[in-house]
Amino acid sequence: MKWLLNFLKGKWLGHPLHPILVHVPMAMWPGALIFDLLSKWQIGGNAMVRLSFYAIAFGLIASVLAVTTGLIDWTGIKKEKPAWKIGLYHMILNLVVALLFAINLGLRMQNFRDASTIAGAPLLLSVVGTVLLIGSAYLGGMMTYHYGISVARMSKDKWRKIAEAGGANVPPE
Amino acid sequence: MLKDFLEGKSLRHPIHPMLVHFPIGLFLLSFLLDLASLAFPSVPSLVRDSFYAMLLGLIMALVAAVPGFVDYTDIRSDHPGKRTATAHMILNFMVVVVYGINLGVRSSSLLDPKISMGPFILSLVGVGLLSVSGYLGGHLVYDQGIAVGRHKRHLPPPRDTIHLVPPIPGADAVFVPVMAAQQLRERETLRVEIDGQVMTMAKVDNQIFAFQEFCTHRFGPLSEGKFEGFNVQCPWHNSCFDVRTGEVTNGPAKINLKTFKVEVRESKVGILLSRETKSL
Repeated sequence: MKWLLNFLKGKWLGHPLHPILVHVPMAMWPGALIFDLLSKWQIGGNAMVRLSFYAIAFGLIASVLAVTTGLIDWTGIKKEKPAWKIGLYHMILNLVVALLFAINLGLRMQNFRDASTIAGAPLLLSVVGTVLLIGSAYLGGMMTYHYGISVARMSKDKWRKIAEAGGANVPPE
Repeated sequence: MLKDFLEGKSLRHPIHPMLVHFPIGLFLLSFLLDLASLAFPSVPSLVRDSFYAMLLGLIMALVAAVPGFVDYTDIRSDHPGKRTATAHMILNFMVVVVYGINLGVRSSSLLDPKISMGPFILSLVGVGLLSVSGYLGGHLVYDQGIAVGRHKRHLPPPRDTIHLVPPIPGADAVFVPVMAAQQLRERETLRVEIDGQVMTMAKVDNQIFAFQEFCTHRFGPLSEGKFEGFNVQCPWHNSCFDVRTGEVTNGPAKINLKTFKVEVRESKVGILLSRETKSL
């Protein structure tokens, strides 16, 4: 089990894995909304309806891995840190977003092969899902760029050497 | 200011990493659709779908390049991340060219049931280059801390490290003038290296202080830190130190900073480097 945990944390890569995986849903779902809107404006026709379907499906597959790795990264944050709470909101929002896009995909299953434009309900779900996703992604970015979660975690030995070479006081190893 | 906007200071986030999700995801999707067209040629419009995904990806790649370039110019020239960033930029430029050619090549055969070999190979090359480049981008953030906590600071970080040599090597105490310290503005910083000691010099409340450059938590760059009162805050994990004494005023750091004596001699500002500070 330990090796699986280390794999999901991205230790083999020297980088956290979660921020890599999230590129897929983060691009696919807003992308699906754009393709929906294009089909609504009668640009591209059925090709856009299909493209949007494929994008949502690809996003969902990747989000399963993104949720798993994200959950593991989150359990590594101490509860008293402000980033813990942000991580919790980030996770809840993401679960809601993934659920919305799963329903969205289900609604499209019937007629994405022939429809030349997207129906109202799935379009609305794409809009709501994308808005929530952007909010959630902002919180995720906050964790990295404001609180430094996972920053210099796997490279800390390298930085320690640089700091020591620069004559700095350093903490015990 | 336009530069602050493109660095995402008002959003309290860098903008480039937000935008890059789109080209990475969409180029990957177009590659999967290419593969799908080879595996399931009976499914209609896969080749066309791949084209549209790639087109949107390329548009977003060009948009992402603008704040990316601005972020690049902000990295200190001798930062270990500068070379990574240069490689990241060159690779991304190649990715854009490869996808530009790819779109041009496939634009005339959008109704084909299967993608032809030429554009498929270009997709393969594109995804390969993009993966390496994306990895380097992640390296810049998660290994080298580029743009982490940058929005907290109002003044630009030092552009270079100033390297100085003590005039009398081996003496018990030597005064090393730092010319650039004369022109420091309030809360502006210098990154100075004297005889192997790397330090931040900062002007706080009209006085100049000098302390070790590296945070004692995970060694973040204090010359890029934020100043509040007499505190410097590390951009990475927000540890705070008193610039006068080097004492930790807020964690996660637990060890105090090494501080250096700043003196004015013959109206020159400089560091008094003594044997004790060297051996400490």
